Amino acid sequence: MFLLTAAGLLLFLPPIAYIFNHRIALFGVPQIVVYLFGVWFALIGGTAALTARLEPDSAGDDS
Amino acid sequence: MLSADFVIATAIGYVCLLFVLAYFGDRRARANPRSWLNSPAVYTLSISVYCTSWTFYGAVGNAARSGLEFLTIYLGPTLVFVGWYFLLRRLVRISHLHRITSVADLLSSRFGKSSRLGVLVTCIAVVGIAPYIALQLKAVTSSIQAIAGSSEFGQGSLAGIDDVGLAFGVAAGMALFTILFGTRHVDAKEQHHGVVAAIAFEAVVKLAALVAVGVFVVFIGGGFEAIFSRATEQGIVVDTTSSFDSRWITTLVLSIAAIVCLPRQFQVTVVENSDENHLRVAGWAFPAYMMLMSVFILPIAIYGLTVMPQGANPDMFALTLPLAAGQNGLALFAFIGGFSSATSMIILESIALSIMVSNHIIMPLVLRFSTAPQGGEGQGVSRLLLTARRLSIVLILSLGFFYFFFTRDSDALAPIGLISFTAIAQFFPALLAAIFWRDASLKAVSAAILAGFVIWAWCCFLPSFQSVSPAVSQLLTSGPWGLSWLRPEAMFGLTGWDPLAHAAFWSLSANVVILTLGSLLTTPSALERIQAQAFVDVFRRGTPQQNFVRGSATANDLFFVAERVLGERRAAALFEVEARESGVDPAVLDPTPEFIGRLERELAGSIGAASAHVMLSKVVAGGDVSLEEMMQMADETQHAIEYSQQLERTSAELRLTARKLEEANAQLRELDSQKDEFLSQVSHEVRTPMTSIRSFSEILLEPGELDQSQRQRFVSTIHQESLRLTKLLDEILDLSALERGERNWQSAPVDAEAALDRALLVCDALLRQKGMRVEHGKRAPLTMVEGDADRLCQVFINLISNAVKYNNGSDPVVRITSALRTGSYVVDIADNGPGIAKSDGKLIFEKFWRGVSGGGDQGGAGLGLAISRQIVARMNGTLELVPGPLSGACFRVRLPVVGRA
Repeated sequence: MFLLTAAGLLLFLPPIAYIFNHRIALFGVPQIVVYLFGVWFALIGGTAALTARLEPDSAGDDS
Repeated sequence: MLSADFVIATAIGYVCLLFVLAYFGDRRARANPRSWLNSPAVYTLSISVYCTSWTFYGAVGNAARSGLEFLTIYLGPTLVFVGWYFLLRRLVRISHLHRITSVADLLSSRFGKSSRLGVLVTCIAVVGIAPYIALQLKAVTSSIQAIAGSSEFGQGSLAGIDDVGLAFGVAAGMALFTILFGTRHVDAKEQHHGVVAAIAFEAVVKLAALVAVGVFVVFIGGGFEAIFSRATEQGIVVDTTSSFDSRWITTLVLSIAAIVCLPRQFQVTVVENSDENHLRVAGWAFPAYMMLMSVFILPIAIYGLTVMPQGANPDMFALTLPLAAGQNGLALFAFIGGFSSATSMIILESIALSIMVSNHIIMPLVLRFSTAPQGGEGQGVSRLLLTARRLSIVLILSLGFFYFFFTRDSDALAPIGLISFTAIAQFFPALLAAIFWRDASLKAVSAAILAGFVIWAWCCFLPSFQSVSPAVSQLLTSGPWGLSWLRPEAMFGLTGWDPLAHAAFWSLSANVVILTLGSLLTTPSALERIQAQAFVDVFRRGTPQQNFVRGSATANDLFFVAERVLGERRAAALFEVEARESGVDPAVLDPTPEFIGRLERELAGSIGAASAHVMLSKVVAGGDVSLEEMMQMADETQHAIEYSQQLERTSAELRLTARKLEEANAQLRELDSQKDEFLSQVSHEVRTPMTSIRSFSEILLEPGELDQSQRQRFVSTIHQESLRLTKLLDEILDLSALERGERNWQSAPVDAEAALDRALLVCDALLRQKGMRVEHGKRAPLTMVEGDADRLCQVFINLISNAVKYNNGSDPVVRITSALRTGSYVVDIADNGPGIAKSDGKLIFEKFWRGVSGGGDQGGAGLGLAISRQIVARMNGTLELVPGPLSGACFRVRLPVVGRA
């Protein structure tokens, strides 16, 4: 989960986000827009999947 | 065209609907705590109060003006929720345990229940949020005007009222509405189920409205692709070349801070959270909600830019596009959506802020100036709190209105919101430090927040008045008193930066630096340390420690305090439960420290941790609960923990020692039994020749008819047996002497090869007798080892004679090799005899062990190998059985070499 968050942060920040910033249109939409929404969607899916696998904690464990 | 009257009537009707919803939602949640109102879905929807009219209108405008930047406002919170496990879960747990009611409460509670920090945070929040509320007022006002003000006919009763008047009306209406349903009662945990239900409903409305507009725009624009390509044809492109600059990072960071620290977000995410596990759903559902909200923003903005006339306000595209297409119904729906987002934000923000104001500013003042508890007040504090909250709601909305009034000329919505975000972000470092860093101290945190706030006010807040005040714009261009390095938008000569990135950089840097250095330099007080431990270790400890050491207060006093704050019914219930638990009559209840601690948390839920602490301190122990005592208590706990850890370690050591002793004991017992065995074996060995000697001598003693030859034979047997006995005893003596190391042992450099040759020579007769062939392998050059030459020779003789003795094959061979290997002299003596079974490999060096096949008639006492091993060991070498080159056994002697001769 930590990895997911960190990866999300990295992917949204300039150096990496910049790579996808070209004047190319995918399906008529600028590439960068597709990229940002794509990462966003992946994060949501990843969190949902990870959360489902995480044990519900009632006593509270710190890991 | 829609008439203004109709629009306003719709808005009022909508608010009434919300009110009804809130009312029934509240009743339902109260009647049945497990209703769907407590579901994670409602929780997630209520969090989406984050999407205000800034999202609804401002994001479109922002997208039209500066491209993709609007996305950062949603990407930041996405990251926070994706990582809910680290931050939000911790916050929620802490807040549940300590009955935290707001950011100010959290910080003041963590940093020694300081009222001052609470006041500071509250003041900053109130001032910082004013622009944000102004944004909502502005959005509602502009939307009403956009939808109705475009024609003379539509003005209706609005004719003659300018936007200021309209905004005033909106603000007043909102204040009334918020007071009506946000401050009906003081709750134990400050949870407002009714409001949350209404907010969740509004979340659905605004999402539906924006999606409806989006779908409509995509539909009439001919699809995403058509919209983008048409825009490109007209020369309108989403400018992304400079998207990822410092401003991108700044807004991302600010939004990360805002989603946690904004008073209303803290309220819905943390305080209103009724079940920690709801976060699991919100972790992905809230980002999904924001994504849905933003999917259509770019198409709306682009399409708006393409078809709307030059100079149209892009903030209002969501409204004006349907209007321009003649879709009045859709426009009204969009208006209601935008209105929804504005009202939900204003309601929750002002409720959250009013709780902060009343708990951290008004309550402490009242407590300070009220003398001993006045009698006969009953619900006094509770009523006072409600009044305070209502007043603060009015105050907060007025501040928002005034900000709107002074800055009404600036046109865009999003920058106003970012001003608020920057102010609120000042709490973020402190908040993180509060829950993760044990050493963060009150002084450092206060100074850091204050410094950040001052820089914000100078660099961010002040410049927003530029358009209304010539003095401010003068200040912006030349700095105060002509000091150009203090210009608000170019501090210390840092020019050319985006003003927002500039302000955020300076204020947050100062904040973090002061917080870190200050915490390292100052020592936290006793209470701070207790609270720090309780907060940072929240997942390690069950319930927070009680802070009152000795309960010298009477139950009556406590009840009086509780009654004033909580009301008679709840106070009585609380005391009854405690009395039942301790099994005494409520009248004679002796309050335990645990109970006082619980009472404090209960009170903290209503009036904030700092106030609750002050209030109870007045009653308990006459107000002088010594911090030293608490310190001592904390120390004692620490010591107890350390001590128990020490005990654990010691007991582990003891266990280890016991095990070692046991092993030693077993070894000793084995040695003992070995000795017994040895003795019995020795007596057995001695007994056999003795018996024959005795019986033969008895025969000789008897006068009888023994002839000379018989006599001769008997005497020689006796002689042989006594020789054997002597040899045996010699060997035993020899062995025990070797074992004890007492024998006069000559230690000198010895030519090992010579010793080996001598041994071969000695055994020559034996070998011949058996017809045994000696196979000479490679031999080492002249090698000197340290030891006794005779003894070494004895070892070789022993090994060779063993090889001879036990070999009963048809073509007996003994193979002798010696070599120098890594500084050792190695002799291998191998034979092709029956060999030694693997299981006997260890036994052969034991005393009196004889080869099984050899039986007892080989004439040895079974001590040869034991003695040889002892000798080699004395010479620091080893004697071992190795797998040999021939079929039989192979003994290897390894001795350390001393310098060559």
